Amino acid sequence: MKKLVLFSALAITAATASYGQSEFSEFTDNPSAFTISSDKNTLELGGRMSFYYENRFLKSGETNLKHNGFDVKDMDLDIIGNMASKFTYEVHYSLVDMVTAAATQNTAAPTSPGFKAAYIQYNGFPVKIKLGYDKVPFSQSSIMHEHETPFWSHPGLTGGDYFSRRDIGLTLNARLLKNMINLYAGAYSGMGETFFEYGNDESGRFEYVARAEFSFPGKMNYNEIDEENTPTPHFRIGANIRYKDKTQPTGSSISQYPDALGTYGLSLINGKTTVYGIDAIVKFKGLSATFERDVVNLKPASANDPIFEGTTAAVNGGKVNAGGFITDLNYDYEKWKSVLSVGYQSLNPNDLIAGHEEWLTIGYAYKVSGFNSVAKIEYYVPTLEDKTSDPLKYTGQIRVGYQVVF
Amino acid sequence: MAKNVKVLFFIALCPLAISLCSFGHKKSIPSATIKCDSFRSLKKIPEPSDIVFDAQTGSYYIVSDHGMLFECRHDGTIIRKAPEEGQDFEGVEVTDSFVYVSDETPRHIYKYRKSDLSLLKTSRVSWSGAANKAFESIFYNQAKKCFVLIAEAPATIIEFDENFKELDRYPFRYTRDVSGARWHDGFVYIIGGKDATIFKCDPNTYNIIEAYHINAYNPEGIAFDADGNVLITSDDLQRLYFFNHLPIIKRSSK
Repeated sequence: MKKLVLFSALAITAATASYGQSEFSEFTDNPSAFTISSDKNTLELGGRMSFYYENRFLKSGETNLKHNGFDVKDMDLDIIGNMASKFTYEVHYSLVDMVTAAATQNTAAPTSPGFKAAYIQYNGFPVKIKLGYDKVPFSQSSIMHEHETPFWSHPGLTGGDYFSRRDIGLTLNARLLKNMINLYAGAYSGMGETFFEYGNDESGRFEYVARAEFSFPGKMNYNEIDEENTPTPHFRIGANIRYKDKTQPTGSSISQYPDALGTYGLSLINGKTTVYGIDAIVKFKGLSATFERDVVNLKPASANDPIFEGTTAAVNGGKVNAGGFITDLNYDYEKWKSVLSVGYQSLNPNDLIAGHEEWLTIGYAYKVSGFNSVAKIEYYVPTLEDKTSDPLKYTGQIRVGYQVVF
Repeated sequence: MAKNVKVLFFIALCPLAISLCSFGHKKSIPSATIKCDSFRSLKKIPEPSDIVFDAQTGSYYIVSDHGMLFECRHDGTIIRKAPEEGQDFEGVEVTDSFVYVSDETPRHIYKYRKSDLSLLKTSRVSWSGAANKAFESIFYNQAKKCFVLIAEAPATIIEFDENFKELDRYPFRYTRDVSGARWHDGFVYIIGGKDATIFKCDPNTYNIIEAYHINAYNPEGIAFDADGNVLITSDDLQRLYFFNHLPIIKRSSK
């Protein structure tokens, strides 16, 4: 509690100016939305629907073709309200997640609870104060919206397997120096997207997140593609860190939250987790390039924690590292309404196990009306397979589909 | 792996194939590229979104995304600020005795007295599109004797009488969005924000006569000074760009 009061006071003291609605909203650039206004209050209704056909090129001997067919990517509804009292609120529903959860009794996609955002934000102070469920201010790639790129999903590093992307909590945000410096600090449940399944865990401790950005020559939004054909080089660099101590009380076990552990068992451990990273983006004349490096440092409370993979304390030193880097190169050519993107990522889900994996992703988007009505095709291929940690049954995957934002 | 190579080849061909199919016979518009002469940082005006020149006083009115109206000198220094604030000021126009401001989010038009910048009247205008894609510009069309508001996206020109009752509307399909507009010397000048282009338009039909591509990032507002020089505001960079006269574009003879 003392820590929360302290960083709240520091942020308020440091800030000079900051207004507007949540910067993480996926519906701030949506000309097809509908707005109802009454006096000084407005309510905006929007959404997004997208579908694709997926085809996996299976290795010889593999016969399960369940990934060769149509799929729903998004079936979202969004409500954003602005009140004269300087409150903003947003509820972003993922209907496909809700339907899936109902049909499978919440076993198919526990980290997709049906909400992508549900918060209130007060804009009347120099520091914006947001309370509720939304993206946490960590990782440029996680914050940026993949639907505004030719790709159909976030990279593996920032898609939720290595650290949670969303959580419930309190976020403070301040912009300084003509909006070129952007600061975030927040305290969250630490349960990430599984909060709706489990609530808070028994440790009773928050996860703390802080992020600082500098952009030049001015403010930069969280759009990866340079659709504005920026006439002079425009860049942003960012650094962020998050920490949680989820050491469970005596007699309790982390295994009571099985869905919260994540694909590689990194998302929630009985112990301390620190994740830190740096990122950057530059845009110039339709070209944009991004880079991000994230490191997950885990310190389980028990020497026998499964994440040590049976290694001795002399070998593991009481800690496990995971993470990697991602980089994208994009070119937007408005005359052809086209965007071509190439992404590369190198990942290691556990440094105690030999090997890592590398992926190459190529995407193309034909924008009938920006990313609000767009055909996208994406192909990704593992250029180096980690056969121990993440064995694959396929050699490549293609997704082709259409997306409409309304 | 052979399959993968084929897929890569297919994706590489997509841009070429689709663009070839989409080529049409678009009407050619005379255009030129102009570069800013200089720019000045507007340190005390957060996110400046529009600017207009007052020929009577020689000063400028600038509005801010933070719902504030300022009277400024040519270099952007503040002379005074209106006491009454709104939510999201995006357009400003000045007439003999009044300053009109478009508050985008609540769809309000504020009428201020020029003498003391006190708020005289609030009118409501209608735009059912997205909250932040509404009226980013306001100007008085002297040819048609009406106010004009232009919705940002989908770009739509709407004419209003002096009580802001809607008269007529025209789709503007030449650009992805409209972030500013101004009447000057018998013509209407419209800014395509994402396309960083100033369109010189016929004041009666709003058809484009000429287009000027500018090297300003995120242009939001446009004004012409007493000599016809162009001033452009950029809200994200919090800058005021200064351009010379728009050049006369030579038509190529056929």
